[in-house]
Amino acid sequence: MAKHDTPLLDELESGPWPSFVSDIKRQAEKNPDCWDILGQLELSYKEKITHWKHGGIVGVFGYGGGIVGRYSDLPKMFPGVEHFHTVRVNQPASKYYSTENLRGICDLWEKHGSGMTNMHGSTGDMVLLGCRTEALEPFFWDLTHGMGQDLGGSGSNLRTPANCLGQSRCEWSCYDTEETCHHLTMHYQDEIHRPAFPYKFKFKFSGCPNDCVAAIARSDVAVIGTWRDDIRIDQAAVKEYVAGNFASNGGSHADGDWGAFDIQKEVIDLCPTECMWMEGGELKIDNAECTRCMHCINVLPRALRPGAQQGASICVGAKAPILDGAQFATLIVPFMEISADNEFENLIDFIETIWDWWMEVGKNRERVGETMQRVGLPTFIKVMGIEPIPQHVREPRSNPYVFWQDEEVPGGFERDVQEFRKKHAA
Amino acid sequence: MALSDDELKAAIIEKAKKAPKPQLYIKDFYKCDPDTKPRAIKNMANLLVREGELMFWSSGSTTMYARPDRIKNEEGDEGVN
Repeated sequence: MAKHDTPLLDELESGPWPSFVSDIKRQAEKNPDCWDILGQLELSYKEKITHWKHGGIVGVFGYGGGIVGRYSDLPKMFPGVEHFHTVRVNQPASKYYSTENLRGICDLWEKHGSGMTNMHGSTGDMVLLGCRTEALEPFFWDLTHGMGQDLGGSGSNLRTPANCLGQSRCEWSCYDTEETCHHLTMHYQDEIHRPAFPYKFKFKFSGCPNDCVAAIARSDVAVIGTWRDDIRIDQAAVKEYVAGNFASNGGSHADGDWGAFDIQKEVIDLCPTECMWMEGGELKIDNAECTRCMHCINVLPRALRPGAQQGASICVGAKAPILDGAQFATLIVPFMEISADNEFENLIDFIETIWDWWMEVGKNRERVGETMQRVGLPTFIKVMGIEPIPQHVREPRSNPYVFWQDEEVPGGFERDVQEFRKKHAA
Repeated sequence: MALSDDELKAAIIEKAKKAPKPQLYIKDFYKCDPDTKPRAIKNMANLLVREGELMFWSSGSTTMYARPDRIKNEEGDEGVN
């Protein structure tokens, strides 16, 4: 029986799509506190203002993240949501879990919280919505001791690392994303659970340039699988595609009437760098021009595969805020070997060089991509100890001036700035 | 020369007591000892949280540090000690 009239929210149940309003109503039949979510949201729709207050001092002992405090500013009117804290649970690598585990998490949340979940949050965590402050420690005990799971990151912590399915399911994965994600998650437990930085920091692991976790769009360090030799071609399979014997795109779009497969129109003409052509019935690729867009490999998966010398490109500085200008990551290292044999030493060294610099130079609430933008790419790559390469160049330069440091010029040069300023005021 | 651990602890606590605003960013503590690396100062601040001298205050997206007796709890108490 509904506790509040919600005519505006009820409209959201009238379409053909699934409705979160219906979901909350269903949960409210089990947990009457959930009626107050709908009541407060209806009021917010009417008044066009939020009635949530977020933040505060909620948490579990020893942790400085994983829980986002949330309160109603109308607790007398909506007592069921007086406290409505969010808990982030670190998802398993690649989001592999059993239905038994999911049932366990849901049962735990019905015991301690509202029973409402969000699978998954943008960062990848299992997000459990709504519980009171006094329920946090008992929940945390059950989660860690009963389920063997842990909280994820929030606030100025390292956020929960995320990865694609990687080599567990995907033949294109150029390194073991699951092992890398697991190793770094364990290596940086302190940074995940306790605030460490001027602002949030994320890293994500995609096995190939298809980038199924959208690392390049959202993470401060995106580790994206790539290869440095040539795309492997099976010319016999190319012929089968051309003859129409193999379904293009692995049959993904087979339900539409697209006509006969046309390799010129559907592959070669769509190559962004125009580095492919047919010659004597064979597909040719000028691999030096390939930008790893993956289109040809996606369309002809039985004929084309990533090269055999595999590793990852490292891009730095993405962010995806809602209000203030999303930004893709910038390529910093075109190729890095990613190997468990040396416990991912080169990747860890790279990440910690960024941290040491950003913690000192970054402003409060400034993502590392914004710090890079503020100081400029030349300064950033110098800090990282990386030589400039053509791949760092986004576009032809528009500034005609070239500035040299004395160590960059044979013989160097000396200049007394104070003497200069006597004649030329700043 | 960098401060000793005890000196750094005392400097951080002093800063947290006297800062105009009760909540401080981790960077605010860097000034306690410019010769100590930021990660070492972060580790010391987190140790002080474990010892009860400081506490975390989170906005959800950013985490700050505060003295427990200077912070107002959303649940209505003045100070949480």
